[in-house]
Amino acid sequence: MTLTAIALVGNPNVGKSVLFHRLTGAYVNVSNYPGTTVEVARAPARFDAGVDLIDTPGVLTLPARSDDERATMRALLHEPLRAVIQVGDAKNLRRSLTLTALLADLGLPTVVALNMHDEAGARGMTVDASALSAALGAPVVPTVATGGEGIAQLTRHLPLARSLLPLLHYDAAAEAAITDLAARIAAVAPHPRLAARGLAILYLGQDKEVEAWLQETAGEAYAALTALREAAHAGGVTPAALAHERGEAAGTLAARVTARGAQPSPLLAHRIGQLVIHRVWAWPILLAVLFVVYEFVGVFGAGTLVGLLEENLFGKHLNPAITGFVQQYIQIGWLADLLVGQYGLWTMGMTYALALILPIVTTFFIAFGLLEDSGYFARLSVLANRLFKLIGLNGRAVLPMVLGLGCVTMATLTTRILHSPRERLITIFLMALAIPCSAQLGVVLGLLGAVSFSALLIWVAAMVAVLMLAGFLAAKLIPGRRIPLVTEMPPIRLPLAGNVAKKTVGRLKWYLVEVIPLFLLGTLIMFILDRFGALPAIISAGEPLVSGWLGLPKEASAAFVMGFLRRDFGATGLFALSSQLTPIQAVVGMVTITLFVPCIASMMVIVKEQGLKIAAAMLAFIIPFAFLVGGLLNLLLHAVWSAA
Amino acid sequence: MNTAAKTSRVPLSFLLPGARVNVDTLDDAIDSQQREQLIAYGLAPDRLVVVLQQRPMTIVMIDEVELALEDSVARHVWVKRK
Repeated sequence: MTLTAIALVGNPNVGKSVLFHRLTGAYVNVSNYPGTTVEVARAPARFDAGVDLIDTPGVLTLPARSDDERATMRALLHEPLRAVIQVGDAKNLRRSLTLTALLADLGLPTVVALNMHDEAGARGMTVDASALSAALGAPVVPTVATGGEGIAQLTRHLPLARSLLPLLHYDAAAEAAITDLAARIAAVAPHPRLAARGLAILYLGQDKEVEAWLQETAGEAYAALTALREAAHAGGVTPAALAHERGEAAGTLAARVTARGAQPSPLLAHRIGQLVIHRVWAWPILLAVLFVVYEFVGVFGAGTLVGLLEENLFGKHLNPAITGFVQQYIQIGWLADLLVGQYGLWTMGMTYALALILPIVTTFFIAFGLLEDSGYFARLSVLANRLFKLIGLNGRAVLPMVLGLGCVTMATLTTRILHSPRERLITIFLMALAIPCSAQLGVVLGLLGAVSFSALLIWVAAMVAVLMLAGFLAAKLIPGRRIPLVTEMPPIRLPLAGNVAKKTVGRLKWYLVEVIPLFLLGTLIMFILDRFGALPAIISAGEPLVSGWLGLPKEASAAFVMGFLRRDFGATGLFALSSQLTPIQAVVGMVTITLFVPCIASMMVIVKEQGLKIAAAMLAFIIPFAFLVGGLLNLLLHAVWSAA
Repeated sequence: MNTAAKTSRVPLSFLLPGARVNVDTLDDAIDSQQREQLIAYGLAPDRLVVVLQQRPMTIVMIDEVELALEDSVARHVWVKRK
């Protein structure tokens, strides 16, 4: 078998994804909060197109426990690995070396990239890379992936990858158990690349992936392995005892190769990191962050840029020119209408996609990328923890929810970072119900921002109230236990403009590829419905609900029909009606359409993650609930308005 | 053994910011998977931790790792008070 792959393996948050990007040049989603890289990313290496580089999810510890760790273990077991690049964090050497200890026992040729040595230096620490290399018996290359430092040297050292020297011998009882088990594994389930000793240690540590692999490979002989493991556990050779010994050995080696200079005064980044979760300062900082995002996305993106594009470029130049051209050369009435009529593919579909949505999501993705790379999100989960406790979740759920403000479809996938199926279910449900995606959020900000700041505040309050109420009920109804929050806080970092730009471009590409066909499909369906008289029928059928109960103009029914296709498409439909809406109608319309069904793409992901039954149950709840809340809000606002 | 007996143990969540203490044990009220996770972060017996904040959560520094723990976890991490 030709070995064609090299895996990047490391703890979360050590710059693995940035290094992967440097080595491949391919676009990947790079973030500095734990758990982003849920899927295993791969791309041909820059230095050798015949080699596939694999970016595995960050592992806090092996044997694997979390989904991320299991994915990494799967890559180690099943990929045709020629070598491993272990990405270590120079300032957290002990933790990196704890993982190294296990990799050494697996016997794969390894090169260690000692990343972030600049951050270690800023803390008065120096790691002696050559001493470490001598101790490990393999190359150790200091790198600063964000600055591109050491990358060429790392590439040059890859052919020199060697199996690492062992970092420790476990105590006598553990060594005896490991030796017995390894001999049996070598006899009944030899792995083509991984050493039996490493597999034995992982199996003793109850790694589920190794268990599954051994069970499949050993067949009937597996029972003997189980018996050996049970005997070892009974004799005190437990997963915790083995992990403790690895930690101790790693600590000893880390202390020997790390020199600590004078303790520098607390770093500015460290002070800022503490300030953003300070019990007083955290809140004005959070409001300031939200205000800046609002100004950039809501005012600049949805106001200035949309104005420039929609009113000037499309409204005054492109659309009249294209309409004139089509009407001159296309004599078939319906075809001309399909292209440039009221529900025309160009005049509605492309104009919505390019003039209304594109500027909004672009500014949102830039703001989002900056926050993501700054280390703010992990702190946000600490701030949000108390609130999320009320709805049976922990602060970690703030990450998918904030990502959901970018794109609910992508965010639904990232709920895998949550630790229990219960947390995933509650989070996915709440996102489907009450978290607007960036496109929709932009339209909401654009429409309500133009009405008044208080209109926007009412919308925010309604969303938070629905989120809390639905979350509280879901937490009571869905059985299971809440998991308390424990999270690492990465250092506050200044985001790199290039990295944010790359991510923004990648996300926009993804967004456009998905959005334009759906906008065109949506427009086509609207056109057909209109052409055959079905749209007026649906609009009049929905009229009692939309006009009577919600108090909106009857044309707003069309926006709800469009909302089935994409959330923002529906909101954009209301945006187009904005000149005809009173402030109360604008708020009620936006609240209802925000709660109303998630888009087709996110529904498909929900089906994938939770199954058809749960997805259908969610929809059956969400649609009537959205109208119920919208109608109640309409009554409430009218009552308050007339009282005032 | 005698020295250990003279050292009082208190929950991590009781300490004031700035305290430097050594971890004694993580008790069984912390679920086993979370206990393993904490040990992997370095919150293991005999390791030195520095308490940075107690609000909105307990935040400690272990080597160069900043770790935030909810009170229901920090309450069950016992540290040796010198």
